[in-house]
Amino acid sequence: MPHGIFSFLKTTLGAALLTAGLTAANAADLRVLTHSSFTVPKPLLAQFEKDNGVKLRITKGGDAGEMLNKLILTKANPIADVVYGIDNAFAPKALAAGVLDTSTAAAAGRKPAAELPAPLVPVDYGYVTLNYDKAWFAKNGVAVPKTLDDLTQPAYAKLLVVQNPATSSPGYAFLLSTIGAMGEDKAFDFWAKLRANGLKVAKGWTEAYYTEFSQNGGKHPIVVSYATSPAAEVFYSKTKLSEPPTASLSLPGAVFRQVEGVALVKGGKQRAAAEKFVEFMRSPAVQTAMQTDMWMYPAEAGVAKADAFRFAPEPTAFNAPSDADIAAKGSDWVARWTKVVLK
Amino acid sequence: MAFETPRLKQPRPWAWHRWALAAVPLLFLAVVLVAPAVRLMLEGGSADLWAPWQDSYLRGRLLWSLAQAAMTCGLVLLIGLPMGWVLARLDFPGRGLLLRGLMMPFVVPTLVAAMGVLALMGPRGLLAQWGGPDLQGTPWLLLFGNLFFNLCVLVRAAVDALSQVSAARVAAARSLGATPWRAFWRVEWPAIAPWLASALCLVFLYCFSGFGLALVLGGQAYATAEVEIYTLVAHELQLGQASVLSVWMLLLTGAVALGYAAVERRLATPARADGVSRRPARGVAQWSAVMVTVSVWMLVCAAPLIAIAHGAMFSGADAWGVLREDDTLLALYNTVQFSLLALVLATVLGVAHALAARRVLWLRTLVFLPFIVSPAMVAFGLLLLYPEASGSFGVLVAAYALLAYPFVAKSVASRLDSLPAHYMEAARSLGASPWRCFWRVTLPLLAPALRRGMAFAAATAVGEFAVSLFLSRPEWATLTTLIYQHLGKPGAVNLGAAQVLACVLMGLALLAFVLIEWPDKEGDARA
Repeated sequence: MPHGIFSFLKTTLGAALLTAGLTAANAADLRVLTHSSFTVPKPLLAQFEKDNGVKLRITKGGDAGEMLNKLILTKANPIADVVYGIDNAFAPKALAAGVLDTSTAAAAGRKPAAELPAPLVPVDYGYVTLNYDKAWFAKNGVAVPKTLDDLTQPAYAKLLVVQNPATSSPGYAFLLSTIGAMGEDKAFDFWAKLRANGLKVAKGWTEAYYTEFSQNGGKHPIVVSYATSPAAEVFYSKTKLSEPPTASLSLPGAVFRQVEGVALVKGGKQRAAAEKFVEFMRSPAVQTAMQTDMWMYPAEAGVAKADAFRFAPEPTAFNAPSDADIAAKGSDWVARWTKVVLK
Repeated sequence: MAFETPRLKQPRPWAWHRWALAAVPLLFLAVVLVAPAVRLMLEGGSADLWAPWQDSYLRGRLLWSLAQAAMTCGLVLLIGLPMGWVLARLDFPGRGLLLRGLMMPFVVPTLVAAMGVLALMGPRGLLAQWGGPDLQGTPWLLLFGNLFFNLCVLVRAAVDALSQVSAARVAAARSLGATPWRAFWRVEWPAIAPWLASALCLVFLYCFSGFGLALVLGGQAYATAEVEIYTLVAHELQLGQASVLSVWMLLLTGAVALGYAAVERRLATPARADGVSRRPARGVAQWSAVMVTVSVWMLVCAAPLIAIAHGAMFSGADAWGVLREDDTLLALYNTVQFSLLALVLATVLGVAHALAARRVLWLRTLVFLPFIVSPAMVAFGLLLLYPEASGSFGVLVAAYALLAYPFVAKSVASRLDSLPAHYMEAARSLGASPWRCFWRVTLPLLAPALRRGMAFAAATAVGEFAVSLFLSRPEWATLTTLIYQHLGKPGAVNLGAAQVLACVLMGLALLAFVLIEWPDKEGDARA
């Protein structure tokens, strides 16, 4: 009975949209689902359309986790043909849900600078890690912390802001790095101590960085962000800077290497064009432009790194639980984190 | 007050044309709101209805949602009623401007408002600089944000109500020796109380089911139940839990909305001809009252906006360069296009709903459905129900209209209530057809209320926050999404560009507001 109503409504709305000529879903469109940070220069996208005789229909689905949920929810009738922006933290969930399809593009076979479980084809990578406000530490005469445990000491009380792993992909990545480094139980002990020491939790990266981080008017001089953020601070500075006002702080156990990939969507259409899009994301032009657009390192091995990245040293070590553990326990960890830190 | 206006003949509530009118908004609500939400709930499967009250975390969220809404109601009444009295009783230069200035918060996108609030009360805010406390991480931030958005609701209601108080009765009380205070408590207060109650219900609803502000200002510690629903749906895909929680929200808000509709129907008395007139302010006491009113307005409504404008002004040439970018022009065009289309749709829906819902309590209550039902539930439900239309132009416009049309419906409905019936009756008895009577008599009388509702609807559409929950497409990026995009990257220029765009957005919304509402021939805060 309810489904009868729904099909009636579907027809009503579908008909209304069609008669109004407003449905943009054209049979020749290649539907690309991305997270909201996706930025590729328009001329490159136009060139892709011209070269392959398709029209790109790019849809932004929110934060990486939110986007994946939308994909899983619409599994029966996918809203995209190809998806970009699922990273190694969310890959196990995507694989378990069976929403991805294998790509046969040449890029899938070329050795990338950072790996991802198939069928995801790596596009770029970066490091989620702590950033600190250099001016704050200089002004207050506090030494920069040397280990994660330092952050549980009174000298560092109320200095750290992290994102909620339930609502933010960098927040989730940071949680995974602590679990990867310390093991589950020790990691949650550590989080409990952080809470006792006045840990601040923000909903997402924007809130953490723009309202809580002392560099932007907040009161927390240490924030979970990316290793490339200091470089972006120079790139987007108001006045020409010779060095960044912030620096990344790659403490052991506080670095997660995030590898983002592209994959075909199971049940999607336009297979040929979708394969072309996978290849396109690994083309030198996109790999070069993307670096200072999305602030990630290129996955294509031969592509030169952007000049701006001289302010963004790559961390030498990083931690993560195994893919199998992430798949099996990822959501339990988030629930446990919520209990330990928020409730 | 029943003796004031004997009603000659009530129209039959369910004549066929009423059904036809009601069908328009009802079908719309069913297709873009109820069906998607229900579809999502079915997807989630069954969950224990009492679970949110048994889990201490969720119970805390629900109770905090109730508490912050109740506290806001107290605050707006305490601050708004004296302001309303000053604005209703005293005349002073700039009074009209101040009345309109009160509406400014409505035209600000939530994240921008939150940034303004933080610029005032955050660690480096003005308050802290002047030796005051830093309110970040406290519940006061959300309460101030609520106050910022809702003060105008109560002040406008108070002004409207006070100008309907019978001048003769106040004069009689005074000439019988009552002090102004006594006259207020014994004559004015009983007359305006229902109006205030109605405004407070509305404030409660906005705060209780408000989403954007709580998301940004509440932080994790002071997140409301609505924020929890969003997290459960969008990030954790716990649809069962989210459904149960939203059923409770629906029950609680539904009760308040029903109360609101009932109170408002009791207000259904035609406007009085002998309202108390305003006197020019004179004397130290009256001028101080005016000064205090202006200062409170500055502090609560203007200061956060000035803080943003200030930030934009000093953000440097690179940030201002954003105005020359193609993306900005596209976003500006899209914002205008979406808002106009949504406004047309919202006006049709709103007027139809208001006309159909006259004297029909449950229909009146349904106007609040778009405020009450969690935007996350609707967004994900739409995706599930109409995947082929996801991210399509039509769905986006419908979503904008959905969130904007209650403003039109509410405004028109309350004006309909106070419409003197004898105008229409005269027209009908002179032989006008019902349609002609509506077109020539009712509609012109409704015009000011319609304009005001449309102004609110337009301002809402221009700065819409919740639509960012829906799928967005780069070619349909609006100013709001562009602001989010800049805030998604580190660097001073990005922050500056976001502030500059926020100013453009404020300007645009204000323009929409002024264009629609300014040529108010009654020149007053009626309707």
